[in-house]
Amino acid sequence: MNPVSAGQRPRHRDASGLATIAGAAVRSPFTPRAGRELVFCLVEVPLGLCPLVILAALSTLPLVVTLVAHGGRPPARTAGAHPAGVIAFVGPAVLIVLLALVVLAPLIGRGLGAVHRRLAGRLFGQQIPGPPPIRRGRRPLSWATATLRDGPGWRCVAYLLAQVPLAVLGCYAIVVWWGAGLAAMTYPLWWPWFRNHPPGVRLSPVPVLTPFGVPHVGTYPGALAAFAGGAAMVVAAPWVTRAVVGADLWLMRWLLGPGRLARRVAELERSRALAVDDSAARLRRVERDLHDGAQVRLATLAMSLGMAIDELGTTGEPDLAAVRELVAGAHRSAKDALVDLRDLARGIHPPALDNGLADALATLAATSPVPVALAVEIPRRPTPAIETIVYFCAAELLTNAVKHSGANAITLTVAGQGELLLLRIQDDGHGGADPAAGSGLAGLAQRVRTVDGRFEVASPPGGPTQVTVELPLHA
Amino acid sequence: MPSLRVVIAEDAALFREGLTRLIESRGHHVAAAVTDGDALLAAVEDQHPDIVVADVRMPPTHTDEGLRAAIELRRRHPGTGVLVLSQYIETRYAARLLEGNAAGVGYLLKDRVAEVAEFASALERVAAGGTALDPEVVSQLLRAGQHARSLAELTPRERDVLALMAEGKSNAGIADALVITGSVVEKHVASIFAKLRLPPSQADNRRVLAVLRYLGS
Repeated sequence: MNPVSAGQRPRHRDASGLATIAGAAVRSPFTPRAGRELVFCLVEVPLGLCPLVILAALSTLPLVVTLVAHGGRPPARTAGAHPAGVIAFVGPAVLIVLLALVVLAPLIGRGLGAVHRRLAGRLFGQQIPGPPPIRRGRRPLSWATATLRDGPGWRCVAYLLAQVPLAVLGCYAIVVWWGAGLAAMTYPLWWPWFRNHPPGVRLSPVPVLTPFGVPHVGTYPGALAAFAGGAAMVVAAPWVTRAVVGADLWLMRWLLGPGRLARRVAELERSRALAVDDSAARLRRVERDLHDGAQVRLATLAMSLGMAIDELGTTGEPDLAAVRELVAGAHRSAKDALVDLRDLARGIHPPALDNGLADALATLAATSPVPVALAVEIPRRPTPAIETIVYFCAAELLTNAVKHSGANAITLTVAGQGELLLLRIQDDGHGGADPAAGSGLAGLAQRVRTVDGRFEVASPPGGPTQVTVELPLHA
Repeated sequence: MPSLRVVIAEDAALFREGLTRLIESRGHHVAAAVTDGDALLAAVEDQHPDIVVADVRMPPTHTDEGLRAAIELRRRHPGTGVLVLSQYIETRYAARLLEGNAAGVGYLLKDRVAEVAEFASALERVAAGGTALDPEVVSQLLRAGQHARSLAELTPRERDVLALMAEGKSNAGIADALVITGSVVEKHVASIFAKLRLPPSQADNRRVLAVLRYLGS
């Protein structure tokens, strides 16, 4: 995760640069990528025309049914004899077929969509997540309704329909660019064999198929020109297929994958799980802190006072020195317990936050052992939950910088940008912070994700370390 | 009361030192003070104490290693008293600790240490093979609705007596606590056993066991 972008390489506009570009262009039809794209087109064209074939087959079904019903006699003859009977028979048949088609369409869409997705995954490593499974009941009627209401299934159908023109374009790319280009390149080869007519005989010119028309060539130089044109078409062909493939992949990502809402739901489910885990973990930490801190101190305090009472209650002269020591111990324990409880309370909700983030962060920066340059620019006040997260992130990141980075100066910036709040902490230390190494950074990142925020660490060895936290203003 | 040899297992240094001091102030000897369950088992093998005082939550997992060590000790050294201290009471822990035998077992909240004399007497009672159950455990068990019907037959006074009995107190102790005479306590106890259909017995810890078995079964 290194946001330092690689500088744009200077473009060579001199002769050698042009030669490189020309070389790349000539090689383009022979690259593995061009090959994969061609294969993709070759498979997608028949696959894309599948729905048309299915529709065509289904539309002939009523005709077939009618033919069978009339004992194989041509319908033209019977139509004249019993027109009403034929319509009465064909009408319901068409209706039933249409109904079946409508009900089954989402299923067909899902099935064919899966084939398309698998093809994209196999050839280009484009892992398009499948649509969520249909939720359906057991009874036939609810089964049909669920299928009819299957939004993702209908999106697949939409893809299949939208892909038909793309399949036609793919067909065009294959036939007119690849096929015709290669064919034109063969003209000079066979010209001497088939056109070696004796002088004086006039043969009609041969057509050359190109994307820009069909010129005719009648001479050998013309055949050579056809070769040149064909070569140019073959060089250009990969770009045409690439455009078709690109459009198809875009369409797949848009329509075959889970929809925007489904993706959002998945994201929300994830962040909710994180939020639940996070709050459970925080409660556990509070319990642990209480158990190991204040509770122990108070139990010890009670014990010391109990022993003091015991000593004072003994018959005869009490050992006042021992009692004084016990009471002093109890006093110490009470003060320590107060400190523990105050820290714990501050960890649950820093009281400084009540006056807003700017004040709280100023207090935080002022108490840091390493000088902190603070800049807070928040036009609109975020919700308390966001303020708390920003505060704890800032506190933890400052502590980290002071403890681990060896920094001499820290910059802490908080800025509101539209609906976002940006927190950035930069230090001049030695870097090398790894959010994956089970540090507090991972916990912070998790907490930020619970509100759909982003957490980025850039800490190359040698420094500097920069942590950027992006949060919505309203959680 | 003869001087007892005690082994303490407690990970919080402050409390461990206070406990050592308290026990020694009562004329007993703390042979070892350790900080986790394994060290406790080793110290018992080493020191052969009369009684062990153990915290429930200790390193490394901070869950119930003290309790597991205590149960293991009761299996290996049935003659050694085990007094478990904890910051909170879990009835299930009590049930695991008392499983099969209530002799020489104690389970108290850490708060009870503040009542020095009572804590010392609980310590001595457990070392002598008796029982010390925190009133909290007893009230939790009594609250459990499972035996509400038979418990409903008890008068409020008999419930008080049952609770004190379950804590491990003798009839004399109960009489002191409730400010009644010993013969009245005996009458109450006999009535409780009759109502709960338990045969009366002389030994304190068997009474506790019987009560607990009945309440917690």
